[in-house]
Amino acid sequence: MKPIPHKIFGIYTDKRRIYTKNVFPGKIHFEEKTVKDGPIEYREFDPRRSKLAAMIMKGCTNIGIRKNDVVLYLGSSHGYTPSFVSDMVEEDGFIFGIDPAPRVMRDFVFLAEKRNNLVPVLADAFHPETYMDRVCAVDIVYQDVAQRNQTAIFVKNCKMFLKKGGYGLLAVKARSIDITKKPKQIFIEVRTQLEKEFTVIDYRILEPFEKDHCMIIIKK
Amino acid sequence: MKYSFTHALGHFIVNDNGEIIGTLAKPDAKLKKLPFELVQCVLENFKQKKYFAKLYSKNIVITKKAIKESVNEDNLIVQTISTMTELDRTINLFTKRLREWYSLYFPELSENVSNHEKFVDMVLTEKRPQETIGANMQQKDIAEMIKLAKHIQTMFRLRCEHETYLQTIMKKYCPNITELAGVTIGAKLLELGKSLKHLAMLPASTIQLFGAEKALFRHLKTGSRSPKYGIIYEHQLIQKAKKKDRGKIARVLADKLSLCARLDYFKGEFKAKEYRKDLERKFG
Repeated sequence: MKPIPHKIFGIYTDKRRIYTKNVFPGKIHFEEKTVKDGPIEYREFDPRRSKLAAMIMKGCTNIGIRKNDVVLYLGSSHGYTPSFVSDMVEEDGFIFGIDPAPRVMRDFVFLAEKRNNLVPVLADAFHPETYMDRVCAVDIVYQDVAQRNQTAIFVKNCKMFLKKGGYGLLAVKARSIDITKKPKQIFIEVRTQLEKEFTVIDYRILEPFEKDHCMIIIKK
Repeated sequence: MKYSFTHALGHFIVNDNGEIIGTLAKPDAKLKKLPFELVQCVLENFKQKKYFAKLYSKNIVITKKAIKESVNEDNLIVQTISTMTELDRTINLFTKRLREWYSLYFPELSENVSNHEKFVDMVLTEKRPQETIGANMQQKDIAEMIKLAKHIQTMFRLRCEHETYLQTIMKKYCPNITELAGVTIGAKLLELGKSLKHLAMLPASTIQLFGAEKALFRHLKTGSRSPKYGIIYEHQLIQKAKKKDRGKIARVLADKLSLCARLDYFKGEFKAKEYRKDLERKFG
């Protein structure tokens, strides 16, 4: 079955799996499966490897990412999810991938050389002042860092770089915030913390795909 | 009021409202640095397609340079100790296989020699006596066993070489930790603490429980009894002590180890010998 457009922009579906249209056809970076439809190539987006894909599979209606957007991606790691976000924003979009670890940044640089809308930035997301001279204002902030102070990092970066009316996506890992508390209680705490600063527009628990994780979408 | 702001795109002069009023060839030391609140307004200006190519190329260059400079002794030590633990596992696995295999031909050797390294050496040097319960075999079948034994022997040699190499870099990089903890435990501490810098920032209680994460989180989650020691359990002082003293020694040892890490990272003097003597007098 050929993939048809999903209700979310940039995503295609064949009812069981989700795909993105490959901006650079023929280049596969993570051994993902592809479906070919003439000159167009679709890359499969695995919800077990990416929290963004899990969020879409859970039925989120608006993730805020559109064509030609500029994205600040905190915790880019090896670049699995960023490569799909780069498909969604297409060639005229721009993604800053930020990670403090040199080991994973090495892989990400090789990916960025193949896709020229990905930008590697080796810096600690908790200190925006160390990389503010290398980025620009953005439409989307996506964060997936699994740190104890991840909410503080998110608020700091949103205040600094997100434009007014832009979206922020926060993946919360309850087990890194506090192992002794119940995950649901932590999600509520994070949500109330975010509600003080922004408006929360979506909140979903990513249960069958990721254990003890949730994703919160905010609008500035 | 005018401010200067340095960005990957160039040097700019900014006014009070966050508008760019001019560019500079190089940063002007007379102007004040841009306050934090105004940065957002300035960055809005750069969100244009014409700047993207320059941002991309600048960032790639900066990141590549940073990755190149990020490699230091920590990485070398961590890779060496990981290789050594993996070599240990491989050697153990292969020697057990060789014992099974060679015992078809000469079972008495495996029975009498319990040391792995000695066993492999003897497979290569000793000849089988006439009286044995092992089966008689053709030369080509025995040759295969000898081949495996030769490979294991080179692996033993490789491990030995790695150990001397590790000793030399550890003594140079963190003399205090090496003196107090020994080469293997010291390297494992660096591996678990990711780097000497991070290790120096950690509290002693974390160093005490390195390698006991599973038990620690079980304790936090379910309220079972807390672990007393992690990787430092292999230390001689703890090994020699009575069972009821071990927790106490682990606590003091971790305390001294964290002091040593700080001495090493901030390039202090060599004090580990005093600490060692102290510990030995107290618990020896």
